[in-house]
Amino acid sequence: MEKRYYLDRFKVSVPQLEQLTGTSLSQGGDYADLYFEHTTYKDLLLRDHEVSSGGFHIDYGVGIRVLKGDKTGYAYSENTEMPDMLCAARAAAQIAQANVIPDGHSYRIPESGPCHRQGTFYRADEMWSDSETRTFIPILKKLESMILARDSRAVKIIARLSWSESYIMMFNSIGELTCDFRPIGSLVVSVIFSENGKNENKTSSRSFRAGAEMITDKLLEEMTEEAVSGIDARFQAVRPKGGKMPVVMGAGASGILLHEAMGHAFEADFNRKGQSVFAGMTGSKICDSSISIVDDGTLQGNRGACNYDDEGIPGQKTYMVREGVLESYLHDRISARWYGVPPTGNGRRESFRFNPIPRMRATYMENGKATKNDIIASVRKGIYVDEFSNGQVKIGEGDFTFYVKSGFLIENGHLTAPVKDINIIGNGPEALADITAVADDLIVDNGTWTCGKDQNVPVSCGIPTVLVRSLTVGGE
Amino acid sequence: MDKKEKNIIKKEKNLTGLISEKEKSLALRCMEAALRHGADQARVSLNKSVLDSYSMLNGELDKVAHSADRSIFLYVFADGKYGTFSTNMLDETELDRFAAQAVESVKMLAEDRYRTLPELSRTACDAVTGRELGLYDESYEDLTSEDRLRLAGNECIFKDIAAGTPLPDEDSSCDAGTQGSRRFLVISEECEYSDSVDDNFTADSHGFSGRHTETSFAICSEITIEAGGKKYSGYWWDSSPYLSGLHKGICSETALNKAVSQIGPERHRGGKFRMVVDRSVSSRLISPVISALNAASIQQESSFLKDSLGKKFFSDGLTLVDLARTPGKPGSRFFDTEGVATHDMDIIRNGTVETWFVNSYMAGKMGIKPTIEGVSRPVLMPYHASGHGIPDSFGADEMIAEYGSGIYVTGFNGGNCNPTTGNFSYGIEGFAFKNGKVTHPVREMIITGNMLELWNGLLAAGNDARACTRWQIPSLCFGDVHFSA
Repeated sequence: MEKRYYLDRFKVSVPQLEQLTGTSLSQGGDYADLYFEHTTYKDLLLRDHEVSSGGFHIDYGVGIRVLKGDKTGYAYSENTEMPDMLCAARAAAQIAQANVIPDGHSYRIPESGPCHRQGTFYRADEMWSDSETRTFIPILKKLESMILARDSRAVKIIARLSWSESYIMMFNSIGELTCDFRPIGSLVVSVIFSENGKNENKTSSRSFRAGAEMITDKLLEEMTEEAVSGIDARFQAVRPKGGKMPVVMGAGASGILLHEAMGHAFEADFNRKGQSVFAGMTGSKICDSSISIVDDGTLQGNRGACNYDDEGIPGQKTYMVREGVLESYLHDRISARWYGVPPTGNGRRESFRFNPIPRMRATYMENGKATKNDIIASVRKGIYVDEFSNGQVKIGEGDFTFYVKSGFLIENGHLTAPVKDINIIGNGPEALADITAVADDLIVDNGTWTCGKDQNVPVSCGIPTVLVRSLTVGGE
Repeated sequence: MDKKEKNIIKKEKNLTGLISEKEKSLALRCMEAALRHGADQARVSLNKSVLDSYSMLNGELDKVAHSADRSIFLYVFADGKYGTFSTNMLDETELDRFAAQAVESVKMLAEDRYRTLPELSRTACDAVTGRELGLYDESYEDLTSEDRLRLAGNECIFKDIAAGTPLPDEDSSCDAGTQGSRRFLVISEECEYSDSVDDNFTADSHGFSGRHTETSFAICSEITIEAGGKKYSGYWWDSSPYLSGLHKGICSETALNKAVSQIGPERHRGGKFRMVVDRSVSSRLISPVISALNAASIQQESSFLKDSLGKKFFSDGLTLVDLARTPGKPGSRFFDTEGVATHDMDIIRNGTVETWFVNSYMAGKMGIKPTIEGVSRPVLMPYHASGHGIPDSFGADEMIAEYGSGIYVTGFNGGNCNPTTGNFSYGIEGFAFKNGKVTHPVREMIITGNMLELWNGLLAAGNDARACTRWQIPSLCFGDVHFSA
């Protein structure tokens, strides 16, 4: 879409944008940017065999940020009338009044960087808004039917289809005008199975930056398989004996290990402030040479893909760890300036209500040379995990935890008894250094991963099968 | 220009965060538009809020943010069908189109005959001005940006604690006892002062209308230190509906003490131990219980408390009440999101489940009596398994002294509770205690168990819930909790 289309949508002109950045800098700020957003979100919910609930939600506004050195002033307006936007600009400009750059040197915000061309990492071949909402109702009913047909123990099914389309326009005091159309669709199904008076639940989800073309029979088949497979093991599963033991992380969703244990600690705001356990370690060898970890905004249609980040920096792939060496933090414009490096396109935000901060996109480990079978066979006594829910990390200490919904004991090189509902806890740098084998089966998980560092943003994660020599596993 | 003049201008420009008569009319017209376009019933909720925050990094202003939000939520019931809609584009023409599209969208959904507004007799009739509960502090209107900056700045202690400062001496108020004379480096201090006003006006086509207005003032601080090549962080916060009720000048000091107290953690063996849970984090353990009492979870068979109503599922020691109408206290409200009047009530009394949270929809669907949509201000009552009286001051320190040895949990690091089975596993941080005294910090420990078993092992509940919290959950002590390490 042409820039003219976005200017018209937000009812502003380029001279007005310049007036707004001018007002934002009127108190002595060094840099200002505007983030216009118009999002329409819709959802449909199937429960008790009927799609009987749904709605839509409209969000419209502009966020105005002023930087003075590393300091931030932020305000927003929920309409794009000039008087209201100017009022927000003046509120954000306050930051410059309260701060003086100690050494008096002029501040120069980095531009987009020389080495990255804008890509098109997502598009909507079938615009969600071009289809009548009613056309999506049969999809939920079909998914329910497919699950019921596969397993008669399924007693309750909740399925939700949601989608949104966001029109984003960014302008800054450097004069860069950037526009982006961001579709995203998510399908989630949660199933309660009942057997001999006991209930167990399983969930499957898929999310893509794509239009309605993402809904295919193949997708429904995949999700059905995921929702029903392993339920026998879930009923039989027990909690293992807890303690420190080798942990084999299955390919795919185990990427939460990278997100929690390493990814957050590589975000440059924590490092700029000296808070991260990895602060001051760029260029240092932190793990085995077989390990490379990337944060990638360029995966086509991925939930974490970014044509541009929310500061107008083109989407790109960033090596955080290359062949065992900490190569780069994840930067927004503020931290890039602080470190004197080009931004990495990680300045992201939940909506126009929030200022951008360094955030992950799709975080994964590249393939190694081992095989999954070899890795499992190498463990005498340990645990294999492959299905997760939430995780958390303490940035300073590096201590992380994540919750395992299912897995198996490993005994003498074989998967044996199923396990469930356990927590795994460890320390990021120690766990990274303890990865002793990486398989060749990388999977990027396409579930509805959302990172909640102050603000919610869509992300994804992935990993090949890896062996961590020792982690603490909760258990009986 | 003096403060009064500024306030007059604010009110004229409607920048106060309070809903104006014009905005109320707009909301009502949106509901009427929905009815005109074919809805049988409708409810509208207008939310307006203003939030200002001043964040300090290492004693200097780092971020100033001003947020002002207005949005309308429209709940549409048409032809036995139901949908929810929201927008923040509040001009009248847009709203009429919004209401028309909402009704059109609802009509394509499947019929759900249990969707209906609550009966008018169940709704609140005493929330007229929004200020009846005494949660609005008029001094909010007098605050200037200079005041806010000063409040944020006064909280900072970074510049007072130069690198290499010795630990606070043994008389200082470290939560977990003394730590000797080890040295540490303060890496960073992040403090934030914020205040907000939230105003809600809700009305429905049965004739209910209600308003809830509250202010909030908050300070928080996080300090990261380094000692022996390792980093440790501490966090503390306080809030109040009144500026005068805010405890100022304590957050950074408490955060620092919390960080320092963690220096030199030791690995602890796993096993079954007594567990004392600090009042600052104890709500984490009651949360899955309250969630499991939600009728929607029970109807969907995803609650470990199904079939629990009127039955004794917990030990005698667990009494949880909802004191929703306590004036001037966080969490109090006169009506829930449906407009249904709250009242003070038992949730669990001496271990017996007395209340499920049942909204109008679930009441119809499950064929049971409706109650309230969710908890407002839960209060967990003091208890001592010995049957002796509760001391005037009964918190974690007293429990540690009385129960001898175990693990004192001061924080949770991730984890989850399976809502269907009640099985949980949480990472914890805290301290080992022995002979009634804290001995050393512990790390990389996990507690594992089942919610029913955990609460049936309740040994004591204190009377030290923090005044600033909506959920009034005190320090707790449990017997025989399984720790992995």
